[in-house]
Amino acid sequence: MKSIITLNVNGEVHEIAVNPWRTLVDVLREDLKLTGTKRACEQGACGVCTVIMDGKAILSCLALAVDCAGHSITTIESLGSSDGLHPLQQSFIDNGAVQCGFCTPGVIMTAKALLDENPNPDDTAIKEALAGTYCRCTGHIKTVEAVKKAVQAGREVK
Amino acid sequence: MPDRSNGYSVIGKRQPKLDGPLKTTGRSQFTDDIALPGMLYGKIVRSPVARGRIISIDTGKAERLAGVKAVITYQDCPGLMVGPDEQLLCREFVNYIGAEVAAVAAVDEDTAAEAAELISVEYEKLEAVFSLEKALAEGAPVICEGRKNNCADEFEIDVGDVDKAFSEAEHVRVDEYKLNHNHNCYAEHHVVVADHSLPGKLSVWTPNQSPLFVQKGLAALLGFSVSDVRIFNLNTGGSFSSRGGPRNHHYIAALLSRKAMRPVKIFCAADEEFLMPRDSGEHKYTVKIGVMKNGKLKAIEVVSLFDCGAHWNSILTGVFRGFSNVLAMNYRYDAMRRLGKIVYTNNPPNIGHHGGEIRQLNLVAEAELDLIAQDIGIDPLALRYQNAWEQGDTTIAGVHYGSCGLKECMEKAAKSSGWKKKQGKLPPYKGIGIGCGGIFSGGKSGMKDHDTGSAMVRIGEDGKIFLDIGFSDMGQGSHTTMAMIAAETLGIAAGDVTVIAGDTNLVPYDVTGSSQRGTFVVGNAVKAACLDARNQLAEGASKKLGVAAAQLVFRDRKVFPRKTPAKAISFQSVVSSLLHSDEGRHVMGRGFYNSPTKSREIWVSSLAFSFGAQIAEVEVNPETGVVKLIRMTVAHDVGRVINPLGMEGQLDSQVFGGMGQLLTEECIMEKGLILNPSPLDYKLPRPFEVPEVERIFVESNDPDGPFGAKEGGEGPIVCTVAIANAVSNAVGYPIKEYPITPERVLHALREKENKQETKA
Repeated sequence: MKSIITLNVNGEVHEIAVNPWRTLVDVLREDLKLTGTKRACEQGACGVCTVIMDGKAILSCLALAVDCAGHSITTIESLGSSDGLHPLQQSFIDNGAVQCGFCTPGVIMTAKALLDENPNPDDTAIKEALAGTYCRCTGHIKTVEAVKKAVQAGREVK
Repeated sequence: MPDRSNGYSVIGKRQPKLDGPLKTTGRSQFTDDIALPGMLYGKIVRSPVARGRIISIDTGKAERLAGVKAVITYQDCPGLMVGPDEQLLCREFVNYIGAEVAAVAAVDEDTAAEAAELISVEYEKLEAVFSLEKALAEGAPVICEGRKNNCADEFEIDVGDVDKAFSEAEHVRVDEYKLNHNHNCYAEHHVVVADHSLPGKLSVWTPNQSPLFVQKGLAALLGFSVSDVRIFNLNTGGSFSSRGGPRNHHYIAALLSRKAMRPVKIFCAADEEFLMPRDSGEHKYTVKIGVMKNGKLKAIEVVSLFDCGAHWNSILTGVFRGFSNVLAMNYRYDAMRRLGKIVYTNNPPNIGHHGGEIRQLNLVAEAELDLIAQDIGIDPLALRYQNAWEQGDTTIAGVHYGSCGLKECMEKAAKSSGWKKKQGKLPPYKGIGIGCGGIFSGGKSGMKDHDTGSAMVRIGEDGKIFLDIGFSDMGQGSHTTMAMIAAETLGIAAGDVTVIAGDTNLVPYDVTGSSQRGTFVVGNAVKAACLDARNQLAEGASKKLGVAAAQLVFRDRKVFPRKTPAKAISFQSVVSSLLHSDEGRHVMGRGFYNSPTKSREIWVSSLAFSFGAQIAEVEVNPETGVVKLIRMTVAHDVGRVINPLGMEGQLDSQVFGGMGQLLTEECIMEKGLILNPSPLDYKLPRPFEVPEVERIFVESNDPDGPFGAKEGGEGPIVCTVAIANAVSNAVGYPIKEYPITPERVLHALREKENKQETKA
């Protein structure tokens, strides 16, 4: 039986009727049409569906939508605006960290959760954070570099 | 300020990818993001047995389930052969675990999955074979009717007098190598949306690298005229050589859509992803090299056995024969011989993986070369250097090298890595290794008699342009490269170019996004199209400036006479004056390129080849067998670097791919079943395992490449054999089975010990 839940996504509150077995990634993509969050393995192995819930990076393929009711969810669509991109997005572009782009939203959300919690991560912390997202193209070299450069740019701004 | 160090204003600049904003914001569309009105969801029923006879298929329960709109079996496509030995949807026999038997389309994924489970298929299990030895053994069950001894294909290619060259050699060595199964592991799973709800028309959305091949395949088998099949190739989440043509799920989605009269999406879940025909089966190689004591290489012979799985396809025939010239691509052997046998087993069929057969063939040839060097007491790098081809050479395979930076790559990689100080002087369990290789930049072969790429350019009134190309960008950044080539040719900025691609109804002809042809072939087509447009613009500007068209320079959004740059007028004003004239000319340019080489019967003929040398440094833990890849020095001759930022990413990507294939990535197979069908268990390198990569570009300026450029998308992975050679060097014993997992390292250490004891 469907339950009516209230999902807070990117600051907007949605009332949705969902079956209890539906995952957050499916509800984001199908009900809310937020297709920036990608789905792939659906078993918590690849990280492409990463979103932020209450400040933590989570795998939206392993979260049931009903369990996310009342929590604050942030997806890739909330980053940047028509006036300019988020520093992480810009850094990924400027530093060549985007190739096929399929994993990119998940990697950026993972990086954002890391920087929100630790604005000055060292190399090891960045590599460990990104280890959960699977990127077949970049070899995890320029993605790590992009996060580092975004951290440096952030420091310079301050 | 534009970088003028190479005389260009766009080429050679670090250009961020033009689709970066779309991809980083999640706005770029992938196939799974497509939701068409009335769209159904398909699910494929796959065989759980590796070899069997189908006794019955009962679809009744599935058809009666509420929400099911179509069910198909072989009866819906009788005689539809998707390969020389493969009927779409099995009729009488199944030959591998995962073979498609039936499919359903329903209103949602849950209903489709439920209906698929309700289809009951009864099998009579038959004796199956899973290894090359068993398949080739006398009395083995015949997997494909009519193919004796399970041999799908067999060939021999000789160049030069091989026997004479071996008999003249002062030292000959033979070794056996084995490569195990591995998987592509794309970020984006296999997925397709097919819409055949209108009569006579089929639209298909799917990630792929060769829209034309998918289009032609679907048209031919489903009875359409090619132009009535429209392929949308929006973005592709990884391709790695194996998304080059139509696959069974494409046909199945189209048939389901035909039957249901509604669009159908099939998304392959994780467990299915590993059941789909995948990269590469088991390879066994016997490699023989003959050499003179002074290091002159005489002859090479490679005998290969390849497990193609349950089905064979003609593309692989082309690949295996066509890529044999790799053996004579790098060094001056007097003669070469390649013998190959492709063998059926009841493993899943193989499609190809990044670097494919070229990487594998080069791997065993380069590993053997290290052993030869050791035997005759020559530094492995010196042996390679001494025998390397150079610019202007014509190889024994009859290929002329208009450019060849192989020696320069070796010199630079050696210098930068400190080879001389390290080779032979490292402490135990530390190793250094070299790997060289080359690859063609597009070409013709048995697979394709022409290699045509084409482009159209439309110049907007504001001086910005649209570039229409049929070539796919699977992440390698080709569309940005093409925009840069267009911008340089027209003297505008890369950001002024919008690339239109990914829809066969909109773009001009392009053969395929494979064989490393993008930069060289399509780049030349883009340049030709832009020159066509530039000539029209020059005619207009020549009237305005009062100088001959040939004297005009297009640069930095300006047009000016070569000798008097101060007279410059804006690019946009030239465009505008042609449009707002009595003639009212809208400037459009068109161009195509097909390299003027003859299609050869036996292997790929190409006009340009790239070369590389890589040096790997590793450390082996003798207790655990774990290999740590510390540093890679990667030198690659790409002719001319169009976009250094993109090219660096290509090198990183290929080091990563090569590292995975050589050290960790293996499908653990048991009786035709992959035991580790998940990225959790199939080991890809993680960020903290990736080495430091030093990237060196060698610019040999190819005479036929656009601005001198040639391929860079697969040559580097061919050279990653350096990693394997470094591990053997660290262990002090040759390792001849790949990937070199910790178990295999420990095994090698034990064998080395045993050998030493025997000697003592």
